[in-house]
Amino acid sequence: MNCETIQEKFADYLTGDLDDESRRGIQDHLAACPSCRAEIENLTAVWAKLDVLPREQPSGELRHRFYAMLEDYRNALDADAKEPRPTAIPARWRERLTFRRPAFAAAFSAFVLLAGVAGGWLAGGGAGHSARLSSLQREVQDMRQTTALSLLNQPAASDRLQGISYSAAVRNPNAKTLEALINTLNTDSSPDVRLAAVEALYLFRNQPGVRDSLARSLAVQDSPLVQVALIDLLVEIRESRAAAALKALVKNDKLNPDVKKVAEQGLKQLI
Amino acid sequence: MSHENSKREKIGRMSPTDNELMEQVRDGRVEKLAVIFERNQTMLFNFFLRLTGNRAASEDLVQEVFIRILKYRAGYQGDSRFNVWMFQIARNAHVDYLRKRKGAVALDDQFSEIPAHDPLPGETYEADQEAALIRQALDRLPARKREILVLFRYQNLKLREIADLLDCHVGTVKVQVHRALKDLSRIYFELQGGKAS
Repeated sequence: MNCETIQEKFADYLTGDLDDESRRGIQDHLAACPSCRAEIENLTAVWAKLDVLPREQPSGELRHRFYAMLEDYRNALDADAKEPRPTAIPARWRERLTFRRPAFAAAFSAFVLLAGVAGGWLAGGGAGHSARLSSLQREVQDMRQTTALSLLNQPAASDRLQGISYSAAVRNPNAKTLEALINTLNTDSSPDVRLAAVEALYLFRNQPGVRDSLARSLAVQDSPLVQVALIDLLVEIRESRAAAALKALVKNDKLNPDVKKVAEQGLKQLI
Repeated sequence: MSHENSKREKIGRMSPTDNELMEQVRDGRVEKLAVIFERNQTMLFNFFLRLTGNRAASEDLVQEVFIRILKYRAGYQGDSRFNVWMFQIARNAHVDYLRKRKGAVALDDQFSEIPAHDPLPGETYEADQEAALIRQALDRLPARKREILVLFRYQNLKLREIADLLDCHVGTVKVQVHRALKDLSRIYFELQGGKAS
């Protein structure tokens, strides 16, 4: 092996993707060539130093912007789907509009009915009665929450995800909805659903008890993805009670090393 | 493969992969993009942060990647690796970002710039001085070399995947990695006040 081949093989050498023969060839060459040896030592040292760059966290603003964008996009899609078209509704939308579960169907029908009544009211000039209007808005919000609660109890994870997105759209969730979201965060079998619950609870972080529940939830999470999302969130909202939870977490010997790294970085920012 | 993805494969075999989720997004279940976002936002943010050195611009770029994913979702091929596809979009977003900033200046000229970056949390700590130095050295690398190093070192992409991304041979990538690291080593030792051999 000559100096040029060493350069070609260097990337594989770094990742350890070399067969025994090539590895031996490199070692033999390095033993005989001081200039290649010095270079490899330098480059390996710099390669190792690249490890000191910390993994930074984006701000919560990015998350907000993403969810707002996704919501806009979904609304636009829904609006497109509702427009009467000469052709039949595509299968995937038909599937969306067909309810197989009676609880959801009933709640949704009531929701649609209320929305219709509200629309009629506004069109009929009832908007002047602000008290009645706000009471109606409350009812719509309540119905939305009822729908969300019934979805959160469904066996299919996709329904529960939908339930979370319903509850996230409520402006002032009641204690029952918050409790259901926290319960989902702590006990749902699907990590994806638990991740979505973290997101929804972020929106309600200023509601009584939510921050405390989020800090306490860290101890019961076992999925590294959820743990990382939760740590990001607690650091983002600068929750002081989270420091104790993070300290307890990093002491856990069984903790995933990547999560440990994130938790340690988070602790630095919280203290 | 992204850091988050390799982690997922080890621990969450029951959860759908990004590839499966993206197929669902393509087929109309766009809400599934939220899961992809949660899994990849930090990794993408760090990719852009290491390229631009600018937090605000990096967040804009992550958002832009997800807007483009929705825009081009119909063209997603289920058999392609989601990760490589996403990085293609990310690289294009970055190139457009540079174009917007610099007008019609040739890319190679822009690549010689030293990106300004905001003070990052932790830089005030003495222990992080080495990180500051290595970041400074990375910033001084020509952008093409910086990009190849960032892809290879931090994004956990295989040489084969980087070659697909950059549309070149694996051998070329290997040579470029070596050259980039050699330049980085020289800059690093210069900044340190020492000499590279």
